[in-house]
Amino acid sequence: MENIKNLREPWEGGVAKNITFIVTKDCQLACKYCYLVGKNDKERMSWEIAKQAIDYILSCETDFKEKSVIWDFIGGEPFIEIDLIDKICDYLKLEMYRLRHHWFDSYRFSFSTNGINYDSPKVQNFIKKNHQHLSIGITIDGTQRKHDLNRIWKGELPERGSYKDVVRNIPLWLSQFPGGATKVTISTDDIPYIKESVLHLFSLGIKEVNINVVFEDVWNPDDDKRFEEQLIELADAIIDGDFYSEYACSFFAKFIGKPMNSTTDNQNWCGAGKMIAVDAAGNFYPCTRFAAYSLRDKKPIIIGNVYDGIEKNLLRPFLTLDRTTQSPHKCIECEVASGCAWCQGENYDAADTDTIYQRSTAICKMHKARVRANNYYWNKLYRKLEQENSSESC
Amino acid sequence: MLKYLIVLLDDNAVSYCHYSSKTEREVSISPDVLKKTIFWAMRENLSVQFVYSDVDVSDEIASLIDTIDHTDIGPSDADIIVVDDWNDVSTMNFVKGRSYVLRSGFKDLLTNGEFLKFILSLVDRLNIVIKDVENFSDSDIEEYKSFLDSLIPTIVGEYRCGHQVQLNLLTDRLMLTEMNNCNAGYESITLAPNGEFYICPAFYFNNQKSVGDIDRGLEIKNSQLYKLDHAPICRICDAFQCKRCVWLNKKMCREVNTPSHQQCVMAHVERCASKKLLDEFRKIDSTFMSEIDIPELKYLDPFDNIIKQNNK
Amino acid sequence: MKKEVGRVTEQERDEIKNLFERRNGLNELAKILTTDNQELYERLVKDLGETSSKFQDWWNRMGEKYQWESLLNGNWEIDFNDCTIYLVTEA
Repeated sequence: MENIKNLREPWEGGVAKNITFIVTKDCQLACKYCYLVGKNDKERMSWEIAKQAIDYILSCETDFKEKSVIWDFIGGEPFIEIDLIDKICDYLKLEMYRLRHHWFDSYRFSFSTNGINYDSPKVQNFIKKNHQHLSIGITIDGTQRKHDLNRIWKGELPERGSYKDVVRNIPLWLSQFPGGATKVTISTDDIPYIKESVLHLFSLGIKEVNINVVFEDVWNPDDDKRFEEQLIELADAIIDGDFYSEYACSFFAKFIGKPMNSTTDNQNWCGAGKMIAVDAAGNFYPCTRFAAYSLRDKKPIIIGNVYDGIEKNLLRPFLTLDRTTQSPHKCIECEVASGCAWCQGENYDAADTDTIYQRSTAICKMHKARVRANNYYWNKLYRKLEQENSSESC
Repeated sequence: MLKYLIVLLDDNAVSYCHYSSKTEREVSISPDVLKKTIFWAMRENLSVQFVYSDVDVSDEIASLIDTIDHTDIGPSDADIIVVDDWNDVSTMNFVKGRSYVLRSGFKDLLTNGEFLKFILSLVDRLNIVIKDVENFSDSDIEEYKSFLDSLIPTIVGEYRCGHQVQLNLLTDRLMLTEMNNCNAGYESITLAPNGEFYICPAFYFNNQKSVGDIDRGLEIKNSQLYKLDHAPICRICDAFQCKRCVWLNKKMCREVNTPSHQQCVMAHVERCASKKLLDEFRKIDSTFMSEIDIPELKYLDPFDNIIKQNNK
Repeated sequence: MKKEVGRVTEQERDEIKNLFERRNGLNELAKILTTDNQELYERLVKDLGETSSKFQDWWNRMGEKYQWESLLNGNWEIDFNDCTIYLVTEA
């Protein structure tokens, strides 16, 4: 039973402070499912704003008691701003050290990139310089037809997929970060390609595929059935092909699909508020999803700025938010609640009022489909391992 | 469950709480809207509170008001009289048997302690509302503690003389075994002169969205968030006298169910002072309010406690 | 080749992990800090020396305490996730 690869635990148990620099709202791609509705090439972070943000954050050591920090860079596509990022990271290292800040002894620089300019000399020099402290994920959605369905170049007609421009950098990335994981997002049009895409990513040498359905309310009536069928096929392929010992796909996890106790299992799923994001205007947000470019219908939630600091009262609703208070009755009573995720920003965007306390249940039937396929996966896998064990002992 | 309907008779209706009622509008409630409102309140079995401005209402409005049992709130000659300025206090003819609301800035309150002690000897009940809660800072805590402590001998003295004066900041907690908050949006709703419903007068005067109108009826979205069980900080709190003002929550924390640090700290300073007052009363009468317990706490903001628990 | 030769306690693991993180931080800082910033540079050189010796001291102490198997052409490695110690040799 030990011969099953599990998903890696997040760095420092997932309790590190996450501070996100939205360095640009521009991207070379125009992915169809991208939640960033307000992308543009105007809002680029200046060095002055970045420096002011760093100076403010590092001056508030007593407010940020987390042992570790993840300095996260996001876009758009963050590596478009590699010069700025390099300058920010150098300044962070110097200042954390100069101030004898406790984060100097436990930090990471984290990137989620589309991978297009991963091999550029500037990005490569940056990687060389900071390798021990880097966490870089390249987003590749699977097979070429699946990837190119959504991840297309911006402003090109006819549409041009980006698969070939990304996949050529995967070997270099895996040679530098052998445990590299990728993130795959599933929307309604992607469902038929789930199985082939996950297997394709495994074949590229990516051992960990973090995959989730979009939280937005995009799902059609039969999507859950189609989704379940795909996951069952994927389960068969992973088990019959013996991939489970070396590869992991986050769709299948032992902890999902159980009822949850309202008292002991009452934590919020999302880390909004525990993290901070700062944008080109110098505004702070509880997470990047609360910035204007991420929101369809609601105003941004700005919790302060780099000059005046953070207004702590505005963080209180985020830091006291728990599962049951924001969930409708059907979620609290749900027999398969565990592992059903939510995004605080999407909850806010979809809510009937300007609140973060109304959980969106758009993925309800998709989660239930996942649970059924997940049950199938573990039942089948355990049975197989039992039979193998008993035949070995005979 | 809805129990109270607050009716603002015009756009200058006096503020009796934390909000300012200054507005550029000049609408008065129409007889037609008022008639429908009273009819609705009767059917819903609500207690009605009419809020007046300093302008007299028309005879037609006055006679409509008389068709339902109600409470008047106004700047003068009302069941609950609102005093908005320390200058007005000096000319006010306080009488026993009525309730008074005194709206004051925090610093003004502290500098008028002696005057306040005098007022306490004249009235049966005084509600103090601090107009600038958002300006309260942690550096004011000690001063606020001293101020409340300084009122205790006056209240005890009045009690010894047979005058059981009530001051919301100090005596309310002595009578409560559970939360007794404003409960706007849950137990009370406000009808504005435009015929639309609002969570409370503050939501109307601050141009928030209405929650229905007298023709369509009430439609409060996410109404659960106005209830105590959906307020993670408040539901574990025993500063039972706290207003738990949903307007201040919205204004300072963006969420109606989340109190600001200032509101929590002030309520806990009041709670601590109430405990001292209780101890003083029990020196006089050891059985005084025997069902009431105000345990010692190590924090002034229950939020800190939640964060501590979460970090475990 | 990698062979499991023992384990340390979580407390001992945390001690070496902290030193490891600090050493990495100092090494990557050294790539950008020049002698122009004399005060900080001197502090860095001193810290690097101290951290390296604390690092070596930990392995010496643990090696002594647990008597792990060793080889002349091998070195020990720790898996921070489960506190396991490996003897690594060139194949």
